[in-house]
Amino acid sequence: MRNTFATYHPIIEFGFFCVVIGIGMFMIHPVFLAIGASAAFIFAILTGGKGSLKFTLCFLLPMIIVVMVINPLVNHQGVTILFQLKYSYITAESVIYGLMMGLMLTSILLWFSSYNKVMTSDKFTYLFGRIMPSISLIFTMVMRFIPNYKIQIKKIADAQKAAGAAEAKTLKEKIHSGIKIISIMFTWALENSIDSADSMRSRGYGLKNRTAFSIYRFDRRDGAAAVFLAVMTVIVLIGCISGACHVDYFPEIVYAKANLIHISSCIAFALICYFPVFIEVKEVLVWKHLESKI
Amino acid sequence: MSEHYLIISMLIGILAMVPFFVKFERKKVQARELVILAVLIATAVVGRAAFFMVPNFKPILAIVIISGVALGRESGFLVGAMSAFVSNFLFGQGPWTPFQMVAMALCGFLAGLIFHKYYAKADSFTGKRKLPLLIYGALSVFFLYGAIVDIWTILAMTPHPTIATVVTVYGAALYFNLIHAAATVIFLLLLAGPMLKKLNRVKIKYGMK
Repeated sequence: MRNTFATYHPIIEFGFFCVVIGIGMFMIHPVFLAIGASAAFIFAILTGGKGSLKFTLCFLLPMIIVVMVINPLVNHQGVTILFQLKYSYITAESVIYGLMMGLMLTSILLWFSSYNKVMTSDKFTYLFGRIMPSISLIFTMVMRFIPNYKIQIKKIADAQKAAGAAEAKTLKEKIHSGIKIISIMFTWALENSIDSADSMRSRGYGLKNRTAFSIYRFDRRDGAAAVFLAVMTVIVLIGCISGACHVDYFPEIVYAKANLIHISSCIAFALICYFPVFIEVKEVLVWKHLESKI
Repeated sequence: MSEHYLIISMLIGILAMVPFFVKFERKKVQARELVILAVLIATAVVGRAAFFMVPNFKPILAIVIISGVALGRESGFLVGAMSAFVSNFLFGQGPWTPFQMVAMALCGFLAGLIFHKYYAKADSFTGKRKLPLLIYGALSVFFLYGAIVDIWTILAMTPHPTIATVVTVYGAALYFNLIHAAATVIFLLLLAGPMLKKLNRVKIKYGMK
């Protein structure tokens, strides 16, 4: 999939996701939720393609409905009574609130689905390698061990079969053969790992003045994006803190009146959320333009 | 403020783990110990692959508990938190990640705190001495892992949790927690012996404390 945003510096990407997910979790204002959910949806489609569309239709939409149904069943606050169940009331406020919660949850899950595509584990290690060197090293090693171990498990299973181990049929046999495989793999992994530890030591792991290779460069484009996102975030935060974007759902739905602060923080939030979509569109337009010149 | 239970509980979870990570970074751990921790985490995550034919049957928590027992409470904490974190890189990160990390970390930490001395000798996991760890395994699934991870389910379902919601969610989770507890006990029963032996052997062979 095309993904221009993933070519930015990891710190921009990580910061972006922190902001949209963080604000997305705090704001239950319908306009904010609509902006966040739509942007998250478009970006998820851009990064994940058909898979994301399927995820949204088959999992997220039903989830919104479930939250919308469950919320009024357990929450009877609100003054507008829609109808009465045996012992309790279903109120319009709690149905709407359930819808809002469903939207919030949906947009967070969609942001995470593009986060998983954009923030690959190497970028994560790069970002946290300086703050937490030992833990990042463990993390990197684990990411390398996992495919190794999967291959080794396959080899062990094949060897067991070749050595005449009967194929496991009952649950008990399956568990026992699985345990045997893990146990064999664990022995191999421990011995193997000591080799790599000694190799690390002889290459000077943990000595002073060693630098780490990284492929990321913070260039002017990243600087511009950082300033843009930071300014917009500040505007949104001003809107949040001043109470201009506050909504009460219970007992009645009460909005703060739309004023300049409110409108500007909405626009700023839209600009943040749609930032990856904008740059993607821009990239396509520039490409078309250059193509037409040939 | 009630809308913010979810994010606040996530932040508390993340912040609660910070001191452990900081302490670990400050210790300047040897390469060999780092690698052993990485092996345990990778084994916990990959364990799923060895049980592809038995769905819902995961050894991850059992391996976290064994790590705590063999290497002590801090290693147990780290293996727990990292196993949850890394396995979510494969199965998808989400708002549940901090909850799973804290839950697994606590399971490993307490296992180390209670049992590190008790099973210090290489072949101490035999006969009647097996029982305490098995009981701990079952209890930790219910009262640590299940209880903490289901907080995320509760807060995702409704922002105004009442006793009724909590009871409903924990009731619905009972079946899954039962399977998980059974799996953990079986894995501890079958894996703890050989794994503790192997870890102790490596510690002696390569002169680690």
